Amino acid sequence: MDRQRFAELLDAYGADFRRWPAGVRASASAFVAEDAEAATLVADAHELDLLLDAGRHEAPVSPDLTARILASAPRAQPPAFDRRAMFALAACAVFGVLLGYGGGLLAPIPSEDDTYFTMAFEAPMAFEDEG
Amino acid sequence: MIDPDAELVRNAGAGDARAAEALVRRHLPKMVGVARRMLNDGAEAEDVAQEVFLRVWREAPRWKPGQAKFETWMHRVAINLCYDRLRRRREKTDPDAGVMVADPRPLASEEWLARQRAAKVNGALAALPERQRAAIALVHFDEMSNIAAAEILEISVEALESLLSRGRRALKAALADVAQDLMGGAEGAP
Repeated sequence: MDRQRFAELLDAYGADFRRWPAGVRASASAFVAEDAEAATLVADAHELDLLLDAGRHEAPVSPDLTARILASAPRAQPPAFDRRAMFALAACAVFGVLLGYGGGLLAPIPSEDDTYFTMAFEAPMAFEDEG
Repeated sequence: MIDPDAELVRNAGAGDARAAEALVRRHLPKMVGVARRMLNDGAEAEDVAQEVFLRVWREAPRWKPGQAKFETWMHRVAINLCYDRLRRRREKTDPDAGVMVADPRPLASEEWLARQRAAKVNGALAALPERQRAAIALVHFDEMSNIAAAEILEISVEALESLLSRGRRALKAALADVAQDLMGGAEGAP
C-alpha cells in the first residue's frame, strides 16, 4: 500500500480500520507502523470520527413504536390439524346428506296389499250411505 | 452466504410472534437511527421505521435467502423511503421540516453540552447532499461493510468511497467549531 492509496482510504473510511475494506486492514496497520506521516493522518481522521460520534447522542426508540410495529406483524394461521378436521367434518356432512337422499330412492315402493288399510277407513262411510 | 436473519424472517412470516419480536429488537434501532440521520427529524424517522417493518411483514412470508442479506434489503427500503420524504420536502419547501424541536426540560450541563454537540453534528449531516449523508450514515454510524453499503445505495465501491470522502471533508469544515469545543474541553454550559 502506498501513501496515496492509504490517504484515500483514510479520507473515506476514517481512522478505525474496522470500517475499512477487509482485504486492506492488515496492510494499513503495517503501513501506519512504518510511516510516521501516516500516523499523523490517522490522528487527524480520528478527530473527525470522534466528532461524528458526538452525533450519536439521541433519544431511544419509543416503546409505543415497538408496540405499533408488533401489532402489525403477521398472525399465525390455524394449525393444519384443525383444517383437516374441519374438512373431514364437512365431508361427513355431505356423505350423510347423500346417504339420506340415496336411501330414500332405494326404499321399496308401497305394496298394493296396503289397500286394506285404506278400506278400513272408507268402510263406515259406505254404511252411512246405505242407511 | 448465510443470512443471520433467514430463520427469524421465515418464522415471523409464518406468524411466530416471538420471531417478529426478535427481528424488531434486532433491527428497529438501526432503522430509526439511519432514518434520523437522513431526515434529522425524530417523528418522521419513526414513521419511516414503521413503514419499513410493514414491508418486512409483507415480504417475510415469501422471502427467499438470495444474494442480498435481509438487513441489507431493509436498509435499502429505509434509505429509499427517506429519499422519497426528502423529495416531498423539497417540493413542499416546508421551512420547519427536518428541524429538531428543542426539549424544554432543564438538563444537567454535561447533558446539555452533549445534546448541543449532537444537534450540531446532525445539523451538519443534514446539510450534506443526501447520497453523501446516506453513505456516512451506513458506513460510519451503522458500521456496514463497504460492499453492503454500496449494494444498498446501488453504486460501485469506488463511487461509495468518493461519496464518503466528500462527505467527511464537508463535515470537517462544517464542524470546525465543535471540534475545538470537543477537543479543547467542555465549556459554556448554561
